[in-house]
Parts: sequence; structure tokens; C-alpha cells
Amino acid sequence: MTIEILYPEVCNLYGDLMNAEYLRRCVPETTVIRTSLKSRPAFLDQKVDLVTVCSMSERAQILARDALKPHLEALEAKIEEGLPFLVTGNALELFIREIQDADGAKTPMLGLFDLTARRDMEKRYNALYLGKFEDMDIVGFKSQFGHAYEGRDVPPLFETARGAGRNPGEKGEGIRYKNFMATYVLGPLLILNPPFARYMLGLLGEGDRPLAFEKAAMDAYQLRLIEFRDPKRGFTYG
Amino acid sequence: MRKLRFFLALWLGKCARIALRVLRRNATYFPGVVALKVCPDFLGQVGKPRDIIAVTGTNGKTTVSNLIADVLTDRGYKVLTNRLGSNVAAGIATALLTGSTVFGKARYDTAVLEIDERSSKRIYPYVKPKLLVVTNLFRDSIMRNAHPAYIAWFLEQAVPRETKLVLNADDLISCRIAPENDRVYFAVDRLKTDVVECINLINDLQICPVCSGELQYEYRRYHHIGKAHCKDCGFASPEPDYLGTDVDTENMTMTVRDSRGESAVYPLLSDSVFNIYNVVTVAAALREFGLSHAEIAESLGKTKIVETRYNVRQAGKVRIVMQMSKDKNALAGSRAFDYISQLPGEKEIILMMNCLADQRHWSENTTWLYDCDFEFLAREGIRRIVCTGPRARDYYLRLLLAGVPEEKLRCTLTELEAPELLEYKPGESVCLFYGTDALDLVYKVQAKIARLAEEAAAR
Repeated sequence: MTIEILYPEVCNLYGDLMNAEYLRRCVPETTVIRTSLKSRPAFLDQKVDLVTVCSMSERAQILARDALKPHLEALEAKIEEGLPFLVTGNALELFIREIQDADGAKTPMLGLFDLTARRDMEKRYNALYLGKFEDMDIVGFKSQFGHAYEGRDVPPLFETARGAGRNPGEKGEGIRYKNFMATYVLGPLLILNPPFARYMLGLLGEGDRPLAFEKAAMDAYQLRLIEFRDPKRGFTYG
Repeated sequence: MRKLRFFLALWLGKCARIALRVLRRNATYFPGVVALKVCPDFLGQVGKPRDIIAVTGTNGKTTVSNLIADVLTDRGYKVLTNRLGSNVAAGIATALLTGSTVFGKARYDTAVLEIDERSSKRIYPYVKPKLLVVTNLFRDSIMRNAHPAYIAWFLEQAVPRETKLVLNADDLISCRIAPENDRVYFAVDRLKTDVVECINLINDLQICPVCSGELQYEYRRYHHIGKAHCKDCGFASPEPDYLGTDVDTENMTMTVRDSRGESAVYPLLSDSVFNIYNVVTVAAALREFGLSHAEIAESLGKTKIVETRYNVRQAGKVRIVMQMSKDKNALAGSRAFDYISQLPGEKEIILMMNCLADQRHWSENTTWLYDCDFEFLAREGIRRIVCTGPRARDYYLRLLLAGVPEEKLRCTLTELEAPELLEYKPGESVCLFYGTDALDLVYKVQAKIARLAEEAAAR
């Protein structure tokens, strides 16, 4: 299996990189390609099983957008072909139409999905997340300056049970189009959610592999699930 | 009307402080909350000391501001500080109202204020330091601080134009803030332990901040700290005005050499690289303030690091090492793990850096565990690690992924049970890592470790 991590020199916040690492621990012979901003993405020219893009700074969003822009048509074709992507945190905003800042500034993004992010750098949204992916419970964390709006025709990745979806008024969270999966839920999503990690392994043709440290991962997941389902527990950090 | 509101705020704040002190409660935050509520521009109107040294940055600001205040006090200055209290706007308001007369005039000529980076915009429009020391900028709490470039942007917008900056030349993130301000730089010369390639998970400056080109490190201390230049545009670490050199951790001394050609031998407060930086930082700040090297070095020799952060005591036949590691702060964890794991001898460890305040109301955001170098705890010499507290299972999983063998790990959600899972082998160190918000519980765990260690020694 080959996993490509796009632009890890700038897209590396909040432990998101550990998603690829966890899959590698499950399938030790995995090849991990770390593609820098100045390199041509490997998935354009060779067989890659999964592309990951991780959380980043606002400056890095511009750098990553500019690095991907020359390959936009090919990127779109790969998504249409069903190449799996796992995009976490504000990396989701790379693929939408634009980011609108509170001061009125508009930053065009790659425009593959018809969503607009509204961002306020003075207001950070911090919350727990509880949702569903198919029949699986998803737990996670959000910590972001922007939310995505509009996009009525963009299918979500998760169905929110508690917390905000793509924005606080929406239940749908993230983007799922064929095997392109993007979510504002950040960090080591696969480690926090062993059932989702198992799904990912299956998607990548490695469904018969056991999860790395499965029991420990399930113990932590189940405790978190109990906490997140507790109606008395606050969900948005004050 | 504006004046009336100010006096009402001042007096209510002072009354709140007296009442809290009578009740033996912490009076270092709430009086400022009252004052700012009644008079939102209280910080602008209250009298301020003539010379203010402000200290900010991700790591080291408490230690550095305490050391600066201690040296100045030892040299005979009457110094106003916020050392026992909060470093956000309400804490600064509390300190200033404490240091003012009933008419709001400053009673001090000098203040040393530790200021939270994120509070810059609420403080610097009113409080204009003579010197602003920035220790460093790293990844901190994901929820408040997002990422270091965000905090640099925050500082950038707020730092008063007339303030002279004392900056870390080895930190290419913080040393670039407010380029129009007058500034000096400090740095630590090449150390034996330096590397070139980053071995840490967090490395927040991997490309040139000017042209996004390739950064080449001449040496790297840890994370992005070190001396570097850009291969593409020539951007480079600034030359330091104050350089810590000839670091001697056996004799616990270091020479600080400045760009005026003066130098002096300084005492080191501990052999950790962080504390080596702290001494250079203090030397640079106080030389800029006007003290001589000899005065600073002599007074620094009389100070020590606050014991709540790091201390060692003997109990039975083991050493108990207490190491604070700020909760939800991957960088603090990495530095602490690196240091403790390299202490000589065998070690047993208890990890209890849980953020209990978060746990009471929400659930701790644990993504920082995967930015933090738990891999250092897989080093030889660590015989056992007990994970405890509400996030014990997350620590346990993280340590397995870090390469710690399962047989070395123990796990309990109940902190006071953790000491029972240690062995207390004669001659070893029992190291307790703890966060900042549960000191009462930490002391109970420490006391239980001591009791069990003494019982083990008596057997």
C-alpha cells in the first residue's frame, strides 16, 4: 500500500499526520511518500492508494492551494476515478470555492466543492464532536476559525449527533464524494476511531489486517464515547 | 464621568482584593475583573510604573519574569510583579491596582509583568513596556493559540512601536515580529547536544518564512530552535547581541558575551537547555535595563527555580523527581520527557498531565498527545510507566505507538492508585509528570509515593 502525504512541511498541525502513521503501523510494508510544496504530487503519475492532507496555518493554506492549482484538472479526474483522500481540519478549505474573512477579504480556493468558508481569526471555535459514519460512532475534536456554508449539493462525510456539522446550523459534517473524505474534525482521527480506521483499511484493500494496538485503541474509544454521549457534558469549550 | 468610573473601579477592585485576602482566597485575578468590568479602559487610566519590563512567549516566561524580578529586587529596586497571579488582562489590572495609591498613582518605579501572548491586544494599547522580552513561540494550546504564526500575528498587531524588543535569535518565528521596533537578540552558542535534522514531531518552521525556500540548519537545538539560513533567498538567523557560550554543565556556569565586547561568567540554575536559555534571556534583558553583567550574575547566583516546576527529594531508597509539564502543551511534554529520560540511573514514571479543569466541564482535547514526543519515554533506563487520570487510556495507547513495550506499562484512571503500581527499586528515580491545574492532587500522589518508598526501604 502507498500513502501520499501532501506538503507535510506546512500541513502538519495537531497530530493529523498520525493518521497515515497509524495505517502504516497496521500495514507495516506501507510506503509513505511525503510530497513537498516544490514537488509534483506522486498520485498524478504513479499508483497511490491514499492521499492525506493535514491541518495547517492560514499562510500554508495559500501555499498548498498554489502548489495544487497547476494540477487541478488531474486532481479532479483522480477524485472522479475514486482515489481515496483523507483531508482533516482546515485542509478541507483547500478544496472549496473560497474563504471569506470577517474583514471582508475573499480568498479563492481550488473550487472543487461548492462551499464557502466564513472565517473570523478573532473567534476560535473549540468543541467536541460526536457523529455517525454509516453505522459507526465517530468521536473527535474541532478547533477552527472558520465554518463551511452553502453547498446544499455537497454530500457530507459524517452525520452530526452532537456539536457542529460543516457549520453550527448544519448536521452534515465534512465532504464525502466517492472516496474523497474531508472533515473539520482534526487530529489523529483514525486512532481515536478504531471502527473508522477498520473501514479505511477495508477501503484500501487491507481489510483483513488487524488494527495496531486494537484493544488499547478500543478501550480509549469506548471511554470517550461514554463521555461524549453524556448529556450533562459540555460540548463547546467556553 | 470617565474619571468617576475609573475611581469607582479602582476602589471596588481594592475592596475586592482586601476582602479576598481576609478570606484567605487568591486575590490576583478577581479584583482586576471587577475593575475592568466597571471601567473597560482601567488599564489606560491606572498609574503605571515608569519602567516596565514585560515578558511573553510560549515557554519560559514565568521563570524569566521571576528571575528578572528577583535580580532587580536583590539590586535594591522596589518591583511590582504579577508573579503570584494571572498573566491575562485581569491579572495585569490586579497587579497595577495593587501597585497604585487610593488616587490611582503608581507606587512603584519598576514593574516586571509576565504577559500572556494571547492577551496582547487587551494589554499593550494601555501598558507600554520599556522592554518586551519574547522567550520563544512554539505550538501551545490548540484551543487558545492555534499555531505559532497566529500568535506572532497577534503580538505583531499589539506591540507598542516605542517598546524595545529582546528577542531570541535562535527562534526564527518570534525573532521576526514587529521589524520596525528597536531590538536586541540573544542566543545560545553551539552545544554538544545539538543536531542538524529535527528529531521532534513538532517542527513549526520547515520552510523559509520569507520566500518558502529550503531552510538549512547549521545547528538545531530542538524543534525549530537553532541557527539557520535559507538556501534560496539568503534569509538567515540574526546575529545575537548577547551570546551564551562555554556552557559548562559540570560546574554549572556559562559565559554571556555581548556585542559591546563585555562578558561575564553566569551561574546556571539547572542543566536543562531551557534553563540555559532562561539565563541568557535574563542577562540580555537586564543589561538592556541598565545593570552590569557583574550585578546580574551575582544576584542570579542567589536565585533558584520555583519548586512547583521541578524538584527532587529523597524518600526511602529512591529519588522522587517532580516535573511540571504544562497540560495540553505538546512542546512542554516533549522537553520534559527528553530531559527526564536522560537523567542517569533507572526510572519509574507516573504520567498525570491531564487537564482536570477541562475534564470537569467537557473532555480534554487530546490531539496534543500526537504532537508530543512520547518516543523519548521509550529510551533505555525507564523501567515502568504508569498512566493515570481521566485520560490514562489515551496515554497508554500513545505510549504503545511510541514504542514502549506493553509489559512496562500500567494504567489506572484513579490518580491515587498510581503509586501502588510502582516497584520502588533502591537507587532508582520515581518521576512524576503533572500539569498546572491539579497541584493539590499532585501533592497527595507525591506524599503517597514517599510513604510507599519509605515502606519499601524498611522491608
